[in-house]
Amino acid sequence: MSEGSRKLLSTLMVLGAQSQGKAISLEELATKLGTGVHELQRELDSLAKAGYAVMTRQDGRVKVYLTGTGVITASSAYS
Amino acid sequence: MLCWEYPPRIIGGLARHVEGLSSALASLGNEVHVITLDFPGAPYEENRGTLHIHRVQVSVPAPSFHSWVLLFNHFFEKRAGQLAHEFGAPDILHIHDWLTVPAGVAAKHLFRVPLVMTFHSTEASRSSNSPSTESAMVEGLEWWGSFEAARVIAVSSWMRSEVLTRLRLPEGKVEQIPNAVEPLRFEGPVDSRVARARWNVREGQKMITAVGRLTSQKGFDDLIRAYPTIRRAVPESRLVIIGDGHMRAELESIAEQEHVRDNTTFAGFISDAELVAGLRSSDVVVVPSRFEPFGIIALEAMAAGVPLVVSRVGGLAEIVEDSVDGIEVEPHNPSAIAAATIRILSDRELATQLIARGEEKAKAYSWENVARRTIGVYQEAASVTKYE
Repeated sequence: MSEGSRKLLSTLMVLGAQSQGKAISLEELATKLGTGVHELQRELDSLAKAGYAVMTRQDGRVKVYLTGTGVITASSAYS
Repeated sequence: MLCWEYPPRIIGGLARHVEGLSSALASLGNEVHVITLDFPGAPYEENRGTLHIHRVQVSVPAPSFHSWVLLFNHFFEKRAGQLAHEFGAPDILHIHDWLTVPAGVAAKHLFRVPLVMTFHSTEASRSSNSPSTESAMVEGLEWWGSFEAARVIAVSSWMRSEVLTRLRLPEGKVEQIPNAVEPLRFEGPVDSRVARARWNVREGQKMITAVGRLTSQKGFDDLIRAYPTIRRAVPESRLVIIGDGHMRAELESIAEQEHVRDNTTFAGFISDAELVAGLRSSDVVVVPSRFEPFGIIALEAMAAGVPLVVSRVGGLAEIVEDSVDGIEVEPHNPSAIAAATIRILSDRELATQLIARGEEKAKAYSWENVARRTIGVYQEAASVTKYE
């Protein structure tokens, strides 16, 4: 997993994005990470494909939250 | 009891430990409250007789992991306060590793009750190769927790020695109480054909299994590097790596480089039932860790009746008696891992002997024993804790 993906998973965890109701918009996440939305979308696509995150559309915006596997993988970097 | 992981949130052995200990304490007639973090799909409140699990949501965002830890401790404190109001103050507080030290220390002074701290690992041993800028804070919290605790528990002799040396604690303050295994988990029928097919292990193939977080500490890269040699001796075999973590892509890439990717399954995280089925369907379990304070998977493999290869490190070296109930190898040594694995897969008599002795040993590690010894530590902690 790239350093960027690790940081992304960790950021989603510490922001509390681990359910649909707590999903974070890509724009908000990009601002927090200091990165572009398109770049972020590519990274999130691969994390979603690997089962670590779920992308969802809410109120016309793309949002993202961690799955259980994503939470454990994010935590495993610190255990 | 305060901990950051409790099933189904299983990051490492800590979750298994708290689950086994809290259940056994409750079975012995104690009222146990576990405060832990929430997890997707898990209920916020769970009551199993006198065991109560309280999963806490951290509803404020944090800028980094370490500030998030401090933040969730505040939410743990709040939950502890609510529970004290509802059930009365606890008789004892028990924290696990640095992650819950702030909440545990605060609750200790608020309720004026004894604090016990269990060390499952230390920052120094975890980050020996690459201490981070936050390591000083983590080590500080470890020291603070051990100072405030009336008694400290370490999960292996190695861990006890590590804690005594690094934190300069008095000998009499630190008790070694191991992890344990619940043998009932490994009883009952398992359809091995279904379990093996799930991970593409064909009929007649030997299943070589490794379980754990995919981090450098676990040494799975050494096992993958050993696998080409194993395959030359045992061509009809498949390597199954169960678990997930940030090293997954790197390990998959090593498997590609070693030309064993097609013969290796990365199973990811699986349920407890699937883990039991996986272990019981394996021909050998390899634990190639470079550092392991305890190594609960070794006990689980013994209880599941599977022969073991383990690195001679930390708690693993204490659990396994070399060539009696498992085979020990030097850590970070793919050739030694390969030789030991081939030996077990090719010598049925040896494997049978290791299995029989391993099953016998696993029986000695019961959660009831752990709970009774922990109660003894609680009583000692209570006897030395005095408030004016």
